[in-house]
Amino acid sequence: MIEVIGLTMRYGGKVAVDDLSFTVRPGLVTGFLGPNGAGKSTTMRAVLGLEPPGAGMALVNGRAYASFPRPLRAMGALLDAGAVHGGRSAHAHLACLARSNGIGRDRVDAVLDQVGLAGVAGRRIGGFSLGMRQRLGIGAALLGDPGVLMLDEPLNGLDPEGIRWLRELLRSLAAEGRTVLLSSHLMNEMALTADHVVVIGRGRLIADCAMDALAGRFQGEVLVRTPQAERLAGVLRAHGAAVVAEDGGALSVRDLDAARIGVLALSEGIALAELSPRGASLEEAFMRLTEESTEYRTGLPEAVR
Amino acid sequence: MRDVIASEWLKLRSLRSNLHLLACSVAAVLACGGVAFLIGRGFDRQTVEERMGFPGNGDGLGNGIAVAYFVFAALSALAITSEYGTGMIRTSLVAVPRRLRLLLAKVPGLAAVSLVAGQVLAFGMHLAAMAVLGDRADQLLRDGQTLGTPLSEPGVLGSVVAAGLSMAAVTLVGLGVGAAVRSTPGALVVLAVVIVALPTVVKTLPSPLRAQAGSFMIENLPAQIAGVGGGILPPAAAAGLLVAYVAAALTAGATAIALRGRRIKVLAIGTAATVLLAAGPVVVASGPTGSVPGSSLAWTGCADKEVVKEMRCATIEVPVDWSRPSGRKVGLTVGMLPATGVGRRIGAVFAIPGGPGASGVTDLSRYAGSFAELRERFDVVTVAPRNTIDKGVLPYACLVSGPWITLPDSRAEYAALGRRNRQAAERCRAADPDYFDHMDSASVARDMEAIRVALGEERLSFIASSYGGVPGIAYARLFPGRVRAMVMDGAADPFMDRAQGMRSHERSFGRFAAWCAANAACALHGQDVGALWRALVARADRVPVPVRGESSRAAYSGFDLKQAAVASVVSPGPAPGYPRWTQLAEAIRRAAGGDASGFADYVRQAGGSPKVPSFTGMNMTHCLDGLGYRDYEQYRTARLAGERLLPDLAGIELWHPLGCAGWPAPVVNPPAPLPATGLPPFLGVGSWTDFDQSADIVRRVPGSSALRYESDGHALYNSGVSCVVAHVNRYLISLRPPAPGTVCRPAA
Repeated sequence: MIEVIGLTMRYGGKVAVDDLSFTVRPGLVTGFLGPNGAGKSTTMRAVLGLEPPGAGMALVNGRAYASFPRPLRAMGALLDAGAVHGGRSAHAHLACLARSNGIGRDRVDAVLDQVGLAGVAGRRIGGFSLGMRQRLGIGAALLGDPGVLMLDEPLNGLDPEGIRWLRELLRSLAAEGRTVLLSSHLMNEMALTADHVVVIGRGRLIADCAMDALAGRFQGEVLVRTPQAERLAGVLRAHGAAVVAEDGGALSVRDLDAARIGVLALSEGIALAELSPRGASLEEAFMRLTEESTEYRTGLPEAVR
Repeated sequence: MRDVIASEWLKLRSLRSNLHLLACSVAAVLACGGVAFLIGRGFDRQTVEERMGFPGNGDGLGNGIAVAYFVFAALSALAITSEYGTGMIRTSLVAVPRRLRLLLAKVPGLAAVSLVAGQVLAFGMHLAAMAVLGDRADQLLRDGQTLGTPLSEPGVLGSVVAAGLSMAAVTLVGLGVGAAVRSTPGALVVLAVVIVALPTVVKTLPSPLRAQAGSFMIENLPAQIAGVGGGILPPAAAAGLLVAYVAAALTAGATAIALRGRRIKVLAIGTAATVLLAAGPVVVASGPTGSVPGSSLAWTGCADKEVVKEMRCATIEVPVDWSRPSGRKVGLTVGMLPATGVGRRIGAVFAIPGGPGASGVTDLSRYAGSFAELRERFDVVTVAPRNTIDKGVLPYACLVSGPWITLPDSRAEYAALGRRNRQAAERCRAADPDYFDHMDSASVARDMEAIRVALGEERLSFIASSYGGVPGIAYARLFPGRVRAMVMDGAADPFMDRAQGMRSHERSFGRFAAWCAANAACALHGQDVGALWRALVARADRVPVPVRGESSRAAYSGFDLKQAAVASVVSPGPAPGYPRWTQLAEAIRRAAGGDASGFADYVRQAGGSPKVPSFTGMNMTHCLDGLGYRDYEQYRTARLAGERLLPDLAGIELWHPLGCAGWPAPVVNPPAPLPATGLPPFLGVGSWTDFDQSADIVRRVPGSSALRYESDGHALYNSGVSCVVAHVNRYLISLRPPAPGTVCRPAA
C-alpha cells in the first residue's frame, strides 16, 4: 500500500505538488495519470524519499520508504530506465543493487530470466536499446520480490510484445495481492492495464476512482436536433442538464443520457430530428479532466462546456 | 550497512575502467625510475666536488607521487561522479535511500584498494628509483643526505609506508571532492589543482614562504610524518593535517549530498572536526621558523660591517667572574646565520672559534659558505668570546705581542723566562686585571650556556674548531645534558701528552722530506733533508743563525728554526706546487748557508716580529686552562720525553706551555675528565696533522667515531672540505657518527 497524505512539494517558489492525498491499494493495478509536468514523477520521488516534502508525507506500507533497512524488499521502483552506468553488465548492475539490500545472487538470475534479459546478462548496458533498459529497470524493481511496485512510465520504449508482457506481468502481480502503481501520460495505454486510476493536474488531485467509473463519469454529451430547440433546452435545463446551442440549431446536452432526453421530449411533445449520444473515449475524458490544469497548453480546442 | 559496503565494493570491481585506471598508476613508478635515471646520468658527468653539491633524490618518491595521487584521487572521484554523470545515482538512492550511508559505504572499498595498491605503488616507486640509482644512491652529499636513501636508512621505511598511506588519504579526498563537485570534469580539475598545480606554484614562492606553504602540500606530508624532512611540521601535526584533508573533503562531499536531503548537521560536525585537526599544524607552522623560538636576544644587523649581510648580531651580558654572577658584567657579541628554512629546522649549531683569541663572528662570516647546507636545518650561532683579542677591553697591541721563548737549560733560565713572561702579562693585565684573570675556557663555556638559555634552545649542537675544542670540552663537562651533538674539528686535546700530539707533525716532516727527494722544485732536492735539517738545528742551538741583510739583530736558535718551520711543514699549500714547502726548503737552504732571513721573512709577514713571539693574547687563556708546567722538573721530564719521540721537531711541544712559566694568575680550568654518562656520541674530525688529537678526545665518549681526512689542513669544516662537511652535516642531522675508520680524501 502506498499512502500519499497532504503532500506538498515546492521547487524554488513554485508549487509542484499541492496538498495531494491518495491511497494506492493492494490487489489492483493503479494508473497514475496526468499531463506532462502534472507532478507525477515528483510525487513518486517523494514516495521514495528522494525529495524532502514541503508538507505532508508519503508512506509505503505505513512507513517512510527511507526507513526500511532493506527498502527494495518492501517496494520496487523504476523511475528512469536511463539511470544506469553503461559500463556495467546487466548482471553486475542487478548484482550491485541486490547486494545492497541483502538479496541473493540466484534472485538476480531469476529476475534476468523474468524480464527476458538472461541472454544478454553479461553484456554492457551501454549497448542496450531503450526497451532493454526498461526491462532492466523493471528487473531492478522486481529484485526484492516486493509487495509494492511503483513504475514511472514503464511502457516507454517497449515494443508491442513488450507492452503486452508487462501488462500481463503487472496484472498477475496485482492478482497475487501486491500493490502496483504505474504512471503514464497516455490514457489509452492505461485503460487496458489499470483497474484503478489516480489523475492529477498541476499537482492537485483530479480524480481517484475505478477505471470504469472514470469512463462512466465522462460518458459524454448527447447531440439533439429539433425544430423546437429553445423549448427543449428549457425542459432539459429544468431537469438538471447542461445545454449548449451549437451551429445549425443543434443542442449539445450533458448530464442527461439519451434515453432520458427522449422520454422528456416525448412527454413535452417535442419532435426530435436527431438524438445521438457522442461516446466519450477515456482519452477524451482524461483530456477534459486535465485540460484546466495542463501546464503546457497547446492548440487544443476551447472547452466544450 | 555491511550490505551497502559490499554492494559498493561490487560496483567498484564490476567496472573494467577502474582496473584500467589503477593500471595507469604504474606511470608513477615509471616517473620515479625515469627521474632517477636522469639524476644518475647528470651525476655521472660531474666532478667529485660537484657531485657533493647535488640535491638528493630522497626516498625517490617525490617525482612520481603526484601521478599516483592523481590516479587514486580520480579513481575515487569517479566512484561518485560517474554515478551522477550516468544517472546511476538515482537508482542507487532507490536501493539505498540514506544518502550519507551511500557515500560512506564507498569509503571502505576505496580505502582497501588504495591501502593495498598504495603500499605496492610506494614500494615500487622507491625500489625503482633506488635500482636505477644503483651504487650512486649511497653517495653522501654536502647537505648531509645521500643521493638516494635505501630502506635501511632510519625513517625511510616509515616515509615510504606513510607515502602509501597518504595515497589512501588522497583517495578519500578524491571521493569527498567528487561528492562535493558531482561532475567528473569538475572534480578532475579540482584534484589537478590541489594535487599538481598548487604544489608547483608553491615551489616558485620565495624561500621562507616556500618551505612554510610547501609543508602543507599533501605530497610533502609523508616525509614529515616519518620525520625525515619535507617541511616544517612535526610528525604528529603532519599526520593530523593529512587526516584533516580527508575530513575536510569528506565533509564537503557529505554536506553536498546531504544538503539535498536537508541534513545540515553533517556540515557542522565535519567542519568542527576539520578545524580541530587542521588547527594543530597551523599553530605549529605559524611559529617563527627562520628565527629562534623563545629567543630573548635582540637580533639586529651586526655593528661590524665587514661581516656577511645575512649575519644577525645580538649582545649578551655575562658576569666577568662566573663565581659572582651578580658582579660586574661584560657584553659579548653573539652572531647568527639564521636557518634558511627550506627543510625542517632542527635547532641551533654553535660554532666555537679557535685561537684562543679568535672571534667566532668574524670566523663564521668568513666561512659562511661552508655552512650553507647545514643552515637548511639549523641556525648557526657563534660568539666573539670574552678572550677575543680585538674585543677592546684589553689593549690589542699588547695581546698580539709577547716575549720570545727560549728553551731553558737550567732552573735559572727557567726562572728568567718566567720573569719575562710575567712582565709581558702584567703589561696587558694592568689595563683590567679583573677581566684578564677570567679568560679561561670554562668561563667561555659558561658564556655559551648563557647564550643557549637566551636562545631558548633545549640543547645545542657544536662544531668546535681548533682551540675551540677546549671550551667545547669544558661545556660538555659542565653541561652534559645540554649537548645534542659535538663535532671536534682539529680540536686541541687537553688530555693528550703534547709530544705524543706532535708525532703527526713529525710524520708531516717525513712527507716534506720525501717530497724534496722526489721533486726538483725543492731547493734541497738530491740531499738527505732529514740529516741536513737535524745538523742545521744542532748547529744553530750552539751558534744561532743570524738574519742577514737587516738592521734587526735577530738570530735563530735551532728551537727558533723549528718553531718558525712547523707551520709550513704541516701546511704545504695547494698541490701540486706546494708553495710553502718550496718556500721552506729555500729557507732551510739559506739557513744552512748561514742566513736565517728565509724564516724571518715568513714570520714577519705574520706578525711584524722577526721571530715568533709568545702571544699574551693566547697565553692568557692557555695558562688559566693549565697548559703550562707546574715547575721546572715537570718541564725537564716533558722535554726529555719529547726529544725521544720527535727526532726532527723536538721542542715545539714545549713552546706554548713555556709561555705560561711565571704566569701571574693561577690555573682555574685544568684538564678534567668528561662525565662517564649522559653525553651523546661525538664526532672527531682531523687531517694528517690534527686527527690524532680529535680522535683522542672523542674516544672518551662512548659511541663516538672519528673521521680522518687524508691530507693536510686544519679546521676542515670551516675550510669547506666537501667530504667533511657532508659527514658532519649528516651527523648533526641524524646524530649518527660515520662508521669507525671512515676516511675522506681530497678531491682529485
